[in-house]
Amino acid sequence: MRMRPLVACAATVASLAVLSGCGAASADPEGPVTLEYWAWPAGSKTVVDEWNAANPDIQVKLSDAGGGDESSQKLLTASRAGNAPDLALVEYTTLPSLIVADVPLEITDYVGDVQDAFTEGTWAQTTFDGAVFGVPQDVGPMALVFREDRFEELGVPVPTTWEEFREAAAAVKEADPDSVITSLPPTEFGFFAGVATQAGGQWWSVNGEEWSVGIADEASLEVADYFEELATEGLIQTEPLLTPEYNAMVNAGTMLSWPSAVWAPGVIESVAPDTAGSWAMAPLPQWTPGDTAVAYQGGSALVVTKDSEHPEEAAKFATWLNASEEGNTLLLDEQSLYPASSLGQEMAESNDPPTLMPQQDDFYAVSADISAQTVPVTWGPNVNLAKSVFEDELGKAIRNGTPWRDAFVATQDAVVADMKETGFAVSDG
Amino acid sequence: MAPYLFTAPAVILYVAFMLVPVGYAVWLSLRAYRIEGALLGRKTEVFVGLDNYVAVLTNPEFAAGFGRLAVYGVIAVPLTLGLALLFALVLDTPAARLKRFGRTAIFIPYAVPGVVAALLWGFMYLPSTSPFSYVTRALGLGTIPFLDGPGLFGSLANIAIWGGVGFNMIIIYTSLRSIPGEIYESARLDGAGEVQIALRIKVPLVVPALVLTGVFSLIGTLQLYSEPATLQPMTSAISNTWVPLMTIYRDAFGTDDLPQAAAASTVLAVGTVLVSVVILRIVNRKRMGVER
Repeated sequence: MRMRPLVACAATVASLAVLSGCGAASADPEGPVTLEYWAWPAGSKTVVDEWNAANPDIQVKLSDAGGGDESSQKLLTASRAGNAPDLALVEYTTLPSLIVADVPLEITDYVGDVQDAFTEGTWAQTTFDGAVFGVPQDVGPMALVFREDRFEELGVPVPTTWEEFREAAAAVKEADPDSVITSLPPTEFGFFAGVATQAGGQWWSVNGEEWSVGIADEASLEVADYFEELATEGLIQTEPLLTPEYNAMVNAGTMLSWPSAVWAPGVIESVAPDTAGSWAMAPLPQWTPGDTAVAYQGGSALVVTKDSEHPEEAAKFATWLNASEEGNTLLLDEQSLYPASSLGQEMAESNDPPTLMPQQDDFYAVSADISAQTVPVTWGPNVNLAKSVFEDELGKAIRNGTPWRDAFVATQDAVVADMKETGFAVSDG
Repeated sequence: MAPYLFTAPAVILYVAFMLVPVGYAVWLSLRAYRIEGALLGRKTEVFVGLDNYVAVLTNPEFAAGFGRLAVYGVIAVPLTLGLALLFALVLDTPAARLKRFGRTAIFIPYAVPGVVAALLWGFMYLPSTSPFSYVTRALGLGTIPFLDGPGLFGSLANIAIWGGVGFNMIIIYTSLRSIPGEIYESARLDGAGEVQIALRIKVPLVVPALVLTGVFSLIGTLQLYSEPATLQPMTSAISNTWVPLMTIYRDAFGTDDLPQAAAASTVLAVGTVLVSVVILRIVNRKRMGVER
């Protein structure tokens, strides 16, 4: 139990040597600071316990407000009500919309000294107009997570291009009609944005003082055509992921891959722990043979909110977790995240592979290779609207058998209309 | 002074939790979050008059949501009321056994929260976990498409019917119990059988209860939310704007457009009141006509 400063001083008042120490303590009559902290990764509790044990003056209280989408909705609502937590984990996709809604605090002065721990591209994910709004926590370089044993059993080579992916999908269907290479439902907005970026599309970009929106640019529409063909030929499913239905297929070994990002092994392990050892990770297939570029899917940053009464202490926790060796060890071992900092990524290379694929010794080496090739993505201020419209329109296209590219065009139109209505400068084109 | 004091608690609660929030919602519906033309400016609240109402009333998806509600309502409301009336009449016949048990058994689903009921039925609908599809597959008939196409309406209505019959039955049954026994006695003396008594005496006498439960069911239909929202992650057939309340939820919490959500809520509330008043008017006029 911690003694109150006054009692502590009284007990030691005889000793002149410690008097100065007591004086410092009584200058802070409020006692320990408590920070509210919202985060969803597994293992966050351990992280907080470690910090609290080492920092009696800055106590962190963890709440799990749901996954990325859910958490950012609640954060926005809490902020509008004036009682947001001090610290919150936020996905890169929703950070701009939260900045526009005035949720995060600019913390440039508090965290500027840890910038060197990150690559320029990663740091740019949380910096807007020179103002820093968060410390990058984890990144999701895109990758193909697949059932190594089933691919081998069916004699299907691991695809390195999307053309090979189509051939692999057809080969899987022919060799085992009960299995399917993957499911890509309309809810996978982040995936489609990622592969469109990989193909050279730019869903949002900044042009001087104006936004431009490219959800229906030529590269993205070709991506739409490609996946539409796979779906209409029955080579992929378009059923939602992580439903009891999907999980049953993963457990039965009839769902053969998940093109997503390096965080996928943790997710699969949580729904099908018994399949550990049968999975492997490879770089995401490419649109052009020989290319190496991929985009990010997912990934998050830790922000300090406007409502925080202790922004300095909050920023201290954020930098400790994401830019210190101790913090990155916890990110890797306890939260199974792929750290955003170069420091953490270097440390990862000597780490054991995820428990889902213990045989893949080069997991983090491959991750580092992919990560070095990621193309930066700019997210716009209304990604949530884009995601919602995209899901509905693509769902409709799949059900009605209309072209997928129409869904991309409809999303583009809705996003531009919404941005114009809100008052953003959007260039036509 | 005393009368005011006695009514004060109710009035204060009504003002604080009804009038003030409603007034705030209406006020909010005339405003919008706007930014000045910068790349990442900050949103400020501005007055936009009826812009939000125009947007709501010209939104084809919002209107389509009402269309889907109508299909759902046409299935759910008559079946709920019909089954509730049937069960109430059966329980009210002198020959019925295990009345107390039957009443409780039919009422229990109403005590199951909507979200829990939707999850429970969701598992019974999903192909890999559905016992019904398991049987049809074993018979070589394939999987039942509970969550696709037109089947979805029936599946959603089924959840509401399962949960709603008990409550409506209790209201109708209570109304049946209040009919004086002498009426039945004289009917029997005149030679009426149980079926005739049910159709000619009981049903006309519980019409007020049927109207009440009908209006409740209609309001419940307009407020459909938790069942489709709970089933949404299980199927792509339910969009984010499937029913009006889902659109309102999305605008309020998903896309940060609380004023638009407030406008849509006002439209929905006014529409609900209008529909209820019109139906009550029609029913009352008809009944007065009969009595005359």
